[in-house]
Amino acid sequence: MLTKRLIFTLLYDNGSFMLSRNFRLQKIGDLNWLEDNYGFANVGYQIDELVVIDVSRQNRDTAKFCEDLKRLTRDCFAPIAAGGGIKTLEHARELLRSGADKVIVNSALHDQPELVENLAREFGRQCIVASVDTRKIDNSYRVLKHNGTVETAHSLDQFLLRCASLPIGEIYLTSIDRDGTSNGLDFEVLKHVDHIKELPLIIKGGIGNADHIIAGLSDNRVDAVATANLLNFVGNGLARARELAISGGINLPKF
Amino acid sequence: MEDGNQLLRLSKYNQNVANNEVVIVDYGMGNLWSVASAIIFLGKIPVVTGDLSRISTSETLILPGVGSFRRAMNTIRDQSIDKAIFDSLQNPKTKLLGICLGMQLLGASSTEDGLTEGLGLVQNEVVKLANSETNPIKIPHVGFNRVQMSKESKLFDQIAIDASFYFVHSYAMQILNDPSIYTTTTYGHEFVAAIESGQVFGTQFHPEKSQKNGLKVLENFLR
Repeated sequence: MLTKRLIFTLLYDNGSFMLSRNFRLQKIGDLNWLEDNYGFANVGYQIDELVVIDVSRQNRDTAKFCEDLKRLTRDCFAPIAAGGGIKTLEHARELLRSGADKVIVNSALHDQPELVENLAREFGRQCIVASVDTRKIDNSYRVLKHNGTVETAHSLDQFLLRCASLPIGEIYLTSIDRDGTSNGLDFEVLKHVDHIKELPLIIKGGIGNADHIIAGLSDNRVDAVATANLLNFVGNGLARARELAISGGINLPKF
Repeated sequence: MEDGNQLLRLSKYNQNVANNEVVIVDYGMGNLWSVASAIIFLGKIPVVTGDLSRISTSETLILPGVGSFRRAMNTIRDQSIDKAIFDSLQNPKTKLLGICLGMQLLGASSTEDGLTEGLGLVQNEVVKLANSETNPIKIPHVGFNRVQMSKESKLFDQIAIDASFYFVHSYAMQILNDPSIYTTTTYGHEFVAAIESGQVFGTQFHPEKSQKNGLKVLENFLR
């Protein structure tokens, strides 16, 4: 039986790893900090997947990101998805040559749907993770783009329907309202995922402890949960959360 | 005399290097970096190359791959990589491992993007994962899944029976009633998770992405 997934997300900004709260970023540390606090070669053994997103808001240096991605993934034998500002096929190819197995697109879903088609033609749809950021505005879920800075005309339902018509492999759905709050996942967003029920769904935003992970993975609409909380799981926090989830009856792989 | 000794040492050295080299076939598709780092982790020397003479003289080959079957086969044929792989297998000591799309390419054909002929090193066909009203599955098949191993398997030697491996694919290789050693997975229907047929090996899952269990599969292949 296919297992569920616990995903760790790293937000990268020009050499630093960031903590995000409602999409406002705060610098935490560099690769060495990550190594000291997580022992990244080891943390690879405690997660089902790693997501690394280049969230640099200005002067994005893709070559440097790829170098750091290589360093980060050298001894990490877990699946890796990478993205952030992908605008060309070549950009995606560079990420795939630097340790990524899958690429994450977000703004391109809005601005360049033809790029998504091209990426799928080149790398296969299983290689494309569609990242969707949503927040509640005037009591309904809206979709935002460009790191959550631009409100689009789409409701979450409408936009997921549109995503379902694109050649993508997975949906990575983030609640901006819950992002970085540690208040638990927003289960209300799951009322809007009917259009994509044939695609694997990753939900993110609000995980602060093992109970939140268990609650998310217990929902049969959810295939994976992701956390980007760099501070709540330092040391062996992820390993502990994983063990708790497994003993709580969640079907996670045994490594 | 001294020169002779030096030469001998040098030739031994070269042989050791050659024995430790693993050629990772680069045809522009796939996550080559992760395969290469797994090979380094296992104490071997990865040579990522599309060079035909390097491929045809290699004794240990890995054919990785992510992407579309048709596109991959077109590139492989255009660059004559298929011939270089066939040449390398003329040497009975050579072994080849296809990973993910790389395994599918070893087969007879795939229906992805229209029927396309594969390398034909095994006769299995590749078809889309089956979805049905009665047994709905999400496609692609993404995540860790368990496998049914065969006792005769070399790849799964000393691997725990409940080990999981990382899959990410929408098409899958069909099982044949032939002498190949099959390890299978069921998702929608039962399909090939790994195949072992003489010099030719393949895994649908990514061993380089399957934590310790995957590294063990790679180690078993390299052994």
